Amino acid sequence: MDSIEVNSYALEMSHISKSFGRVQALDDVSLKITQGSIHGLIGQNGAGKSTLMKILSGFYPDGSFDGTITLAGKEVQLRSPRDAQNFGIAIVPQEITVAGTLTVAENILLSELVTKSIKFFSKRKSESKVQTFLDSNHIPLDSSQLADSLTLPQKQILMIASALYAQPKVLVLDEPTSSLTADEIETLFAMVRSLKDRGFTTVFITHKLSEIVDLCDEVSILRDGRVAYECKRQDFDTDILVENMIGRSLGDLYPMKNELDPNAEILLRVKDLIVENPRQPGEKILDEFSFELRAGEILGLGGLLGSGRTEILKALYRDNKILSGEVELSGDKSFGRSTPKVLQAGICYITEDRKAEGLFFNLPIRPNLTAKILNSCKKWIFLDRKAEKTLANESSQALDVKPSDVETFIGNLSGGNQQKVLIGKGLLTKPTILMLDEPTKGVDIASKAEIYQIVHSLAEQGVGIILVSSEFPELLELSHRVLVFSGGKLQGEMIGKIENEHDLMLMSIGGK
Amino acid sequence: MKFSINTSPLMKRVIFVLIIFGIFTALKPEFATYASILSIVQGIVFVGISSTFLTLLIASGEFDISIGAVTALSAIVGGMLATHLHVNMFLCFCASILVGVVVGLINALVVLYGNVPSFIATIAMLFIARSLADFISQSEPILNFPQPWHGFKDSFIGNYFSIFIFAILVILAEILLNHTNFGKVAASIGSNKEAARIAGVNVNRVKTILFVLTGAGAALSGYVADIYFSSSRTSLGSGWELLAIAGLVIGGNSLFGGRGTVLGLVLGILLMQIVATGMVISNINQWWQTVITGVVVLISLGVDKKRKKVFVHG
Repeated sequence: MDSIEVNSYALEMSHISKSFGRVQALDDVSLKITQGSIHGLIGQNGAGKSTLMKILSGFYPDGSFDGTITLAGKEVQLRSPRDAQNFGIAIVPQEITVAGTLTVAENILLSELVTKSIKFFSKRKSESKVQTFLDSNHIPLDSSQLADSLTLPQKQILMIASALYAQPKVLVLDEPTSSLTADEIETLFAMVRSLKDRGFTTVFITHKLSEIVDLCDEVSILRDGRVAYECKRQDFDTDILVENMIGRSLGDLYPMKNELDPNAEILLRVKDLIVENPRQPGEKILDEFSFELRAGEILGLGGLLGSGRTEILKALYRDNKILSGEVELSGDKSFGRSTPKVLQAGICYITEDRKAEGLFFNLPIRPNLTAKILNSCKKWIFLDRKAEKTLANESSQALDVKPSDVETFIGNLSGGNQQKVLIGKGLLTKPTILMLDEPTKGVDIASKAEIYQIVHSLAEQGVGIILVSSEFPELLELSHRVLVFSGGKLQGEMIGKIENEHDLMLMSIGGK
Repeated sequence: MKFSINTSPLMKRVIFVLIIFGIFTALKPEFATYASILSIVQGIVFVGISSTFLTLLIASGEFDISIGAVTALSAIVGGMLATHLHVNMFLCFCASILVGVVVGLINALVVLYGNVPSFIATIAMLFIARSLADFISQSEPILNFPQPWHGFKDSFIGNYFSIFIFAILVILAEILLNHTNFGKVAASIGSNKEAARIAGVNVNRVKTILFVLTGAGAALSGYVADIYFSSSRTSLGSGWELLAIAGLVIGGNSLFGGRGTVLGLVLGILLMQIVATGMVISNINQWWQTVITGVVVLISLGVDKKRKKVFVHG
């Protein structure tokens, strides 16, 4: 081996393999991170990114996997997270993990405070020490502030600052943008670039391709536990990157739209509806609007965040107040005045917030799927476990939820599979009208394709679908028609085709 | 009641305690005499010693309901050794503290390695410790303490001994919690266990130390009570867990962990003792006393409305 070549890498992971039981999580993965670069590590949920990083962080200790780790040319054995830290590997986890009741200074100094002996801690001294560190690194934080009082991106920056304080050889950022807005992401990127300018080596983990293209000098793509592709910045090509990420070309992401039968039954007729603004009781969120939905139709609701789309869906689901107007389901005007009645009548709403109001994260897949249909698997007054399990299994198989064992806890599923379970829960109620609110939020690209396929086949079976999405291409590619809401009213309607993206954007910001 | 913005949360509580004290003094002037104040302070010493280190344990996100029972068990063990085996005072001290250390270790073992929530595990320990105390003493009070115990009690030091121990313990614990690296690490665990772990904190080690300290503190209270009363009863310390919890909360501690103030705990239990003593002296119908105590607890929580957001001790 050529030693000069080896030394130009800050970190090498060679021939790493790890399996859990029969599942091969990593299969002969080799990664080379050039000294002083920003290295993108990209892959879909379940590709093996987190397993790889847990090996690097010492969480899976030396000996529990095959392969070697080399830091700046020297082979190291990482037996614990502490070991990894001592060798100069700092990993900033995806979830915000700060001690909220401690100050910024205390958070940053925390790893230094962990000693066997007891030492006095001076609040004033430590704060001025940390402030000097923050200022010299151009990190915009106040060391005396309580971590709880920071905004989300500030907390993210605090976590990076804590990692930097130890002067790491390699800084690993695990999906740092997942909870940030576009502006906040820019701030973060600026910080990562300035780290690079000062010689730091950064590994940037993400599943968003655009971030790799924007930020990184080199990229490794993980797929199904292997390195599928690696290249330097000058060879970046979006199409090739996508293909390697999902294992096929993007062309078939959206299914072909089914032809809408002009004589199909009108399922839902909404007339002069005025919907309440849940944040201002008694006030309307939008001017009155009307629309119709036919069987087999996919109707998109377009607009920007906060334009009232979710509130409309929730109003139809009777989870938000209707101030005036009529809703007619297959000719029936009084089909339901409460959520359970509406659900019974065949209208199902699938929330955009699966964490807060969608799934039971402390329960397995099975009870999540059957939560709305327990009445249909009853034996006298008792729950028929067998029937419930059969229903859950059928649903899980139909949606290709992974892992296939329905007793797996929801928290252990990838975002895409969680979303499929959420949709499955709705589908088990056999709705005639399905309202989908941001159905691909936080979902990797392969699961997106699967969800599109599900939506498509439901429409083919004659289910009427109302779709809300902030991703304009998704909205236009899936929907037959799109109603655009902005400026507190229904602005207009357009045909769902990708060529209309520009018009949709204009109408959404009220420019038409 | 209007306080300036700069008044620290702890200061607000001191003022509130003084106001309550003032109200009772206005009702009955003899409330403010030396003897009455001494009896109030003496009244919180034992529950205080027993729960001082509990503040640190709670800051780290765990709980110990067994403190009062451990105090009783330690007092009974010390008393039995002194009266039946004529063991000297120092060895009795070691034995009493050992009781607390062992209980703390068992609590830590069950909670941290058996994955039982500390609330449940220490309730179980409460029952076990209390019935052990009953069993060892056959539920009889231990009264016939030998001479050095009486002699110590009757000396001038003996009179203030328990208050002195309490004061030392409070200062030690307050420094440990808010002015050392150990205290910051403990609070970080209660604040966000994952963040602490990432920073390299050995969470189980720190919590084990705190469970043992809490047990030892509760046991110390039993030993000091042996000296102060020259007797021990199995009923010692019953209900202290609730007093301690109320005291902690009144004093501005969070039961969810992440921060803590030992001085706050002292103010909290002091307030409850003032109210209790004040009502006895003012001849308030005893049926109403408990109701009024409850109301004062609730009012005191309103003293610092933003306490959750603003309050960081130190």
